[in-house]
Amino acid sequence: MSREQLEMIIIRLLRIMGLILFIIIVAFPFYWMIVSSFKSLSEILLNPANLGLDIRKIDFHAYYEVLFEHGFLRYISNSVYVSIVTVMLSVTLATVGGYAVTRLRFRGQKFMSYSILLIYMFPAIVLVIPLYVMFSRLGLRDSINLLILVYLAQTLPVALYMLRSYFQTLPPEMEQAGLIDGCSRLGVIWRIVIPLSAPALASVALYTFMIAWNEFLFAFMFLDTPEKFTLSRGVVQLAGSVHLSKQLVMAASVMVTVPILALFLFFERRLVQGLTAGAMKG
Amino acid sequence: MKRTSPAFLDREARLAFWMLFPTFTVVLAFVIFPVIWNLWLSLKPVSLGDLRGASLFKLNLTLANFHKIFSDPGFGSVLVTTFVYTIAGSFLSILMGLAAALLVHGEFPGRSLLRGLFISPYIAPVVAVTFTWSFILDPQLGVLNWLGVSKGFFAQPIPFFSQRWWDLELLGIRIRLPLALTSVILFEGWRYFPFAFLFILARLQAIPNELYQAASVDGASPFQRFYHVTMTQLSPVLSTLFLFRFIWTFNKFDDIFLLTRGQAGTKVMTITVYDYAFGEFNIGASSAVAMLLFGMLSIFLVIYFHWILKEGS
Amino acid sequence: MASLTLKEITKGFGKVNALSSVDLHVADGEFCVLLGPSGCGKTTLLNIIAGLIPQDEGIVALDGKSVDRLSPRDRDVAMVFQSYALYPHMSVGQNLAFGLRMRGVPKPTIRERVLESANLLGIEDLLDRKPRELSGGQRQRVAMGRAIVRRPRLFLLDEPLSNLDARLRASVRLELKQLHRKIKSTIVYVTHDQVEAMTLGDKVVVMRNGRVHQIDKPETIYARPADTFVARFIGSPEMNLYQGGIFKKDGQYHFQSAGFSLDLGSLQPNVGEGEVEVGIRPEDIVIGESETALKGTVEMISNVGSEKYLHVGLGDVSITIRAPKEAIFQPGQIILLTIPPDRLHLFYKGLRI
Repeated sequence: MSREQLEMIIIRLLRIMGLILFIIIVAFPFYWMIVSSFKSLSEILLNPANLGLDIRKIDFHAYYEVLFEHGFLRYISNSVYVSIVTVMLSVTLATVGGYAVTRLRFRGQKFMSYSILLIYMFPAIVLVIPLYVMFSRLGLRDSINLLILVYLAQTLPVALYMLRSYFQTLPPEMEQAGLIDGCSRLGVIWRIVIPLSAPALASVALYTFMIAWNEFLFAFMFLDTPEKFTLSRGVVQLAGSVHLSKQLVMAASVMVTVPILALFLFFERRLVQGLTAGAMKG
Repeated sequence: MKRTSPAFLDREARLAFWMLFPTFTVVLAFVIFPVIWNLWLSLKPVSLGDLRGASLFKLNLTLANFHKIFSDPGFGSVLVTTFVYTIAGSFLSILMGLAAALLVHGEFPGRSLLRGLFISPYIAPVVAVTFTWSFILDPQLGVLNWLGVSKGFFAQPIPFFSQRWWDLELLGIRIRLPLALTSVILFEGWRYFPFAFLFILARLQAIPNELYQAASVDGASPFQRFYHVTMTQLSPVLSTLFLFRFIWTFNKFDDIFLLTRGQAGTKVMTITVYDYAFGEFNIGASSAVAMLLFGMLSIFLVIYFHWILKEGS
Repeated sequence: MASLTLKEITKGFGKVNALSSVDLHVADGEFCVLLGPSGCGKTTLLNIIAGLIPQDEGIVALDGKSVDRLSPRDRDVAMVFQSYALYPHMSVGQNLAFGLRMRGVPKPTIRERVLESANLLGIEDLLDRKPRELSGGQRQRVAMGRAIVRRPRLFLLDEPLSNLDARLRASVRLELKQLHRKIKSTIVYVTHDQVEAMTLGDKVVVMRNGRVHQIDKPETIYARPADTFVARFIGSPEMNLYQGGIFKKDGQYHFQSAGFSLDLGSLQPNVGEGEVEVGIRPEDIVIGESETALKGTVEMISNVGSEKYLHVGLGDVSITIRAPKEAIFQPGQIILLTIPPDRLHLFYKGLRI
């Protein structure tokens, strides 16, 4: 056997082992999360090492409890509201803003170009305390709409950057033709640029949704009354109040995770483009 | 000679202004302003109770907060912990990302499904994954400990996230492992490897096949080809990734907070920001740490941009 | 249709001067061609006329009235882009109708005009297709249709034929000329192809590096180029140009270059004696015996089919001569050629004298 063949076999073996190892490492927590959410409390306590799930013993009680006795129905609607509004505002503002920075000539255009991404680098922890102080002072703290504005500030820089990168690849002649044909700038954006930017807009929308849906720190700091909690806040609340009923926490976790994972798998290609196109927050 | 009327450029500039105004305002109010406000607070003796009072705007600036945070007993260890966590976590996530990318690279059925799976730890909400990991590693109810004990791997359950040190013997050598910190670092690698994975995979797929063919013809074996072609092509991406992950891990709060609250030797600087504010009710000290963090971030960014400019030319 | 007047148009990008004091007048119904190598500023000039970019100095006027304050929309000009710039997400019909829709023209009128223009260009069967389904030639017609349908005051065409293959280019060129005669529109047409310029233009503007070198009818530009650049740029193969000196001998002016010397006969160059450049077109050189014949050696023969071009060594220089296709020559052959002084072009410091 030649060295080439030997090494190829070794590589193949390593690859298979590696893939199996990785699949287990990555998938197991999700598997466990789902399986545990269908167990009853007694199962959790008596049989913690049960890796499998007895089909006959599937218990939906955890979901029922979490939704109706721990207020998660409300949390879901809050999260949906916050995420969708953030996405709509973010996409709109990033589209017109990104267009302005790409195509329009004005003083400070270069500056804006460079500073967009810089803003993005500011860590949330540096912003949280002053915002907390500011909002407490103004009596505005416990507000979902304020949270939306904070999320906007987090997502706009990257959304703008992503759309700007994309707009730069569009040939300007089409927009020039539109202007000559009689469109206003906004008309050009609406009728020509947006229809041609569908994939980029989808990426931005997905990315923004992910940030808003998953966000923890600001929701934790700013929301006080349970009616206003988003899902992330609600899960932490739940976990703090139960100690043994892990199946409840797992059910809640499943509820937070499934929508974003489903959306992602559905739009997989687009999101991956979005994630690699702009620098991503860790 | 007539000069062009500025009306033309004016029109565009005005339009650009309105198109950027909302974004600009939001960012100004919720990003720029807080940072400046942070600076102000760090230079004043402010406690949580002072928040509603008028003393908030009094010009009684002092460096006492900075003095306090530097002289607090735990400061040195917090700094060390932060760097260990950041460097080890970034390194691990990139290593895992590299491994994953190499495993997935190439054509085979189910590839995009696998890619989708591998990105999940990054996409899933932080609360979900942290609580799931906590549950799995829980000393009383966690599956890992139960299996470990029942199969004889562990003598007794290991509190992965709540015990500071773990003395163990490996091949006759006594090792004092910082348990909670290691667990958190492992989590960090698991959660963020998809980021490195995506970038490395993209770069891998862009390496022209001819390079491998040329190396083959030149007589390189598969492992040699990997080292000389693949790794050399990847090293710029890897360095950039490390820098990015370093900056972001340095500033991370959510993960450690949700896993350990900063106990058992996992206290990093971001946690102290929270602890000063809501543990000791000292807003001034909290802002001072935040300013220190911000200062260090700026230095890292300057290094990064210098490096970029050097690489770019 | 309107007339276009450009006065001292100047435009710079950073340190580069794209246009330097361009003056031009295009009369109503005239077909004006901007001709020049790439980078000479012709597209920039077109963009300025359309209102897409502002000039640094100078005035753009339509029908005598300045349009500098007007946006592209309000200037009522139509532009055909080199890349056609069709809206990919709209059908051909929608592409054609777009400009009229934007101006609030009533639907029945739009339909009528779209059909009319489509018929004019022969694309009436393509109205429902999308641009990506069309061939290059078809897309080009749609781009033209989009401009025609609007009945603008002025047409601007930016190298509309350059993306077509040679055969198609020739036939579309012919159609363009016929179209112009039919619609009698004012057209500003940009190209780097001198054949297009000469066949299409009523008036040709030769440009280089942002400067206008000559504005004239095509025949005039060919027969009397204003400087050595124009002389070299127009005419294929290139005009033969030689540097040398003028001196007087026995009351007659003579020209002496590195390869040969010429008796200038009755020509009276008004620079007296000095360094000049002298040009003669390949087709103006006569082969055969004469009093003032020069002797040269045939170096190479290019056979184009319809005629032959001889590359002849004359002293230290080369000269290109046109010969009829039946003529037979061999490399190395010695031939006699005459350069008639009345067909000479004289240039002093680059400019015609």
